[in-house]
Amino acid sequence: MPVKWLMHFQPNQGTTLTSQVMAEACAVAESFPGVSRDGRWRSSMTFYRAVPRDQSLPAPSDLPRDLIGISLHDLPNEYLFVMRSQRLILRAHSSVQTVMDKLQSYKGRFFINFEGLQYKWGDFKLRIGKCLYNPNEALRGIVMEVEYLPLSSIDKSQRVMEEFYEIWREAVASKLLAGQFINTEVNFVEYGLGDSYTPQHTAVLYGMCVVQVIASSNKNQ
Amino acid sequence: MEPQQQAGSGDAPPKQVAQAMDRLGRAARLIAEIRLGADRILEALLVSNENPRLSEKAAELTLGEEDAMRRHFLDLRTVGKQLEDSGVLSGALRSRGNSWGLHMPLVCPDGAVVAYAWKRQLAGQAGASAVDRARLALKAFSDQKRRIFPQLEDDQLNRSNNDTIKFPPTKRPRLSHRPTQSPNIDSTEQKPMLADILKSIQTEAPGVTISTYQRLEWSKRAESLASTMNDSSLEQPKEQILSNLSASFNEVAVIELVASGVFRVLVSLHPAGSTDPDAVAFFSPNEGGSYLHSRGMSVHHVFKHVTEYADKALQYFQSSDPNKALSHLLSWICSHQSLFTKNCSKCSKLLAMDKSLALLLPPVHRPYLLNSKDHDQDFATAYHIGCSSYDV
Repeated sequence: MPVKWLMHFQPNQGTTLTSQVMAEACAVAESFPGVSRDGRWRSSMTFYRAVPRDQSLPAPSDLPRDLIGISLHDLPNEYLFVMRSQRLILRAHSSVQTVMDKLQSYKGRFFINFEGLQYKWGDFKLRIGKCLYNPNEALRGIVMEVEYLPLSSIDKSQRVMEEFYEIWREAVASKLLAGQFINTEVNFVEYGLGDSYTPQHTAVLYGMCVVQVIASSNKNQ
Repeated sequence: MEPQQQAGSGDAPPKQVAQAMDRLGRAARLIAEIRLGADRILEALLVSNENPRLSEKAAELTLGEEDAMRRHFLDLRTVGKQLEDSGVLSGALRSRGNSWGLHMPLVCPDGAVVAYAWKRQLAGQAGASAVDRARLALKAFSDQKRRIFPQLEDDQLNRSNNDTIKFPPTKRPRLSHRPTQSPNIDSTEQKPMLADILKSIQTEAPGVTISTYQRLEWSKRAESLASTMNDSSLEQPKEQILSNLSASFNEVAVIELVASGVFRVLVSLHPAGSTDPDAVAFFSPNEGGSYLHSRGMSVHHVFKHVTEYADKALQYFQSSDPNKALSHLLSWICSHQSLFTKNCSKCSKLLAMDKSLALLLPPVHRPYLLNSKDHDQDFATAYHIGCSSYDV
């Protein structure tokens, strides 16, 4: 599976995030020669919280209280779970969501949707999207996923992705957007993931990225 | 969409070409009808102008003609859509790999319809000599043959096609080099040579895994790579350890070089078991399928460009040092382990925007010129396409 990097937009100190930024970021992407629009993309994330069966008993300490469920745009038939405290990732069939609903052992607390535009640029694929908080569709952040199709090794693609990131940051700065894109740095080894990129890596990236997006949006409000 | 159109894309290319010619004919007839209809309407207007008595008749005629014209326009639109979908107007089908080497009829900007692209090229070179024409036809047919039957490396055709045109002096003498030796001794002499070459490359470049295959074995392996890519588990290469191959070295037709996470390169040998490379192609390590062979092309831009450049390197090695062409080629290939990490020797960056291609690429051109003393050959420099200073 091709390697991906995930970035989120960090607005400048004192400015608030608006959908205008999304339009501006897409304009930056479209300003590169050879970029072609490739449709839309959509992923979603559910933050589950454990529902204690018996209120009088203390909750077992080895079971996670919080669980993140992720549905990725490029894997419609799968659903991934991330347990950040235990550093575990589970890959399941998408019908597991029905099972979760029936079991009611974990209940979805809140939901985040990612949706936006997809671009193809030579061997790169770019996805720029809004991060929307589900109940009221409030804009929480802007994310960008960069995929380099020829390589699946995280180690071997490191330099290529770094240089792309620099090119992207320079372009964003030159178009005077009110902020910058920050890359999500993850230590995949902690999650037991190897050098060969997989959907589990994506799930971990999204998990980390969303935490940073929510933190920065809370700070700016 | 008409069912006929759906059936068209599943038909064999000759039928598609015939259908396209047919549709072009129909389009031409419709356009002629429309012209005639327009003339008739104008005539009716003129007549009713000059002869007010006849104006009612003229009006009737005009209405009838208008109906006919509308139908013709609708038909023309349908035919146009069919032609557009089959790629005739845009030439989009010309480079399709499964088109049997036949090209869709091309509608040129000047309106001429050409059934086969190479015919137009010949027509344009009206002043070209007979030798040039024969060469073009030979190239077109042998390209076609290569595409249709990649596994059938016909001795005579391949040699004369690949080499006579460009480097006549170097290829032919090699065949007559050992006139007094029997074929048995030839093959035993070649066996250690191939093994020796592979062993020395393996020591020179420990990061690259080299495997050898017979032609059919490679086809099976290429297919199996497609299915292993779909699981995201690590691939299990069916490697043949070099030391175990002494019996079958005289049938080796494909050499596979894999640098983990960087590339998979295929080099074909012709004839099988010899040390003469005849084609090379670079692929991503995550590609798999029947298109993975030494004359195939990667789906990724970076590897497409490296493969094009590798073709030139191969021709250069074959012409300048035919006895060691395979050694030089394999060394040159192994230098690409740093394809995604080595900065350009001219602009010192890794990724650069190629303006004419509108792509971001790492340095894909590694100079292959040989020094006079060949021990210094390290192929250490790399350039972006735009930074390449010479035309190699």
